[in-house]
Amino acid sequence: MPNYKLVYFPGRGRAEVSRLIFKAAGVPFEDVRINTANGEWPGETKAKCPFGQMPVLFVDDKVLAQSKAIGRYLAREFNLAGKTNWDQARADMILDQFEDIGTEIYKFMFEKDAAKKAELSEKFNSETLPRHLGYLENLLKENNGGTGFFVGDSLTWADLALANAYDHLGGTDAPFANSPLLAGLIKRIRATPSVAEWISTRPQTPF
Amino acid sequence: MPTYKITYFNFRGRAELARLIFAAAGVPYEDLRIEMSRWPVEYKDQCPFGQLPLLEVDGKVLAQSKTIARYLAREFNLAGKDSREQALADMILDHYADIMNEMKVIWLESDAEKKATLVEKFKTETLSKHLGYLETILRQNGGGFIVGDSLTWADLMVVDSNDWLGVMFPNPYDNFPLLAGLVKRVREMPQVAEWIAKRPDTPR
Repeated sequence: MPNYKLVYFPGRGRAEVSRLIFKAAGVPFEDVRINTANGEWPGETKAKCPFGQMPVLFVDDKVLAQSKAIGRYLAREFNLAGKTNWDQARADMILDQFEDIGTEIYKFMFEKDAAKKAELSEKFNSETLPRHLGYLENLLKENNGGTGFFVGDSLTWADLALANAYDHLGGTDAPFANSPLLAGLIKRIRATPSVAEWISTRPQTPF
Repeated sequence: MPTYKITYFNFRGRAELARLIFAAAGVPYEDLRIEMSRWPVEYKDQCPFGQLPLLEVDGKVLAQSKTIARYLAREFNLAGKDSREQALADMILDHYADIMNEMKVIWLESDAEKKATLVEKFKTETLSKHLGYLETILRQNGGGFIVGDSLTWADLMVVDSNDWLGVMFPNPYDNFPLLAGLVKRVREMPQVAEWIAKRPDTPR
């Protein structure tokens, strides 16, 4: 078993899907959290990052960058990527969709003009997010009625990404009011012992 | 061999990486380019996320351009020889996606003067830094291919990027000799060269 070290800021952010993959797989890893406050970042860390950004994953002494590439690599290593190339692609597709949702959130998250921010946020919550969740609800339903997993008949990192999105979208059931299958899957995944334990013991962070 | 179909608009855009993969692999596919007037009415409902491009494999659909390209790369042994190489290729894909997202913001700027300033700033500060990281990766890998020791879809990403970066920044790899060399070598590979010569000539 290689030595795994995941390096990121003190938050869930772009590292949490990978952390959930480690936890669901029951694989130990070093969960390194680097602070900007006391100069730890950029410090000596930035130069070690292939694109000058975090998260990065060290597998023994070899480094990987880009949160989705890291997540996919770990998912494959721990048999959480999907059982066939097709299933893996279906899972990738769902991850890409969560990335698109995240991109929409960033549009208003960093908007400095308060009025514009409120307008973008309103558009996201009333139109963009429901549309995206609608697509995901349909995809889930296509998989044997949607009472199991997103892809195939076992856990993949696509399910973990959904469980993680719950926190990014405010940590309440509200956004999923019209997506009962998604809500059910989120509940099932977050109740899985390894995931539930991590959620209750992980550092509580604002992002 | 399954039947493959790519549905997209008549652009290189978000479908071209997949088209380059088909070309490099020598695998035939239907390259359907639809008129804007037929979108969304005729096609949107087929699309899992209401967007193109769409890949159909014996009638089963996949969405999301990056996923489509990766699936094809894996099917045709152009993804990387082991899990780490595959991850390195994925990493490079994500980096190009980040660059494209930043360029998109500039592209959508409506004030012409402001846009010109943003374009210049991006070119001299941001883009050179982003491409510099890739030049380093290529150099550290010996300068031949960007991942491993044979052609992967990561090399095709570099070729594709030369075109889409070029829409806003002509000759984007002029100051990056290894990347420029890679673009030239891969574009001259027979199957890639044949595709580039015969593909529809579109503005982007």
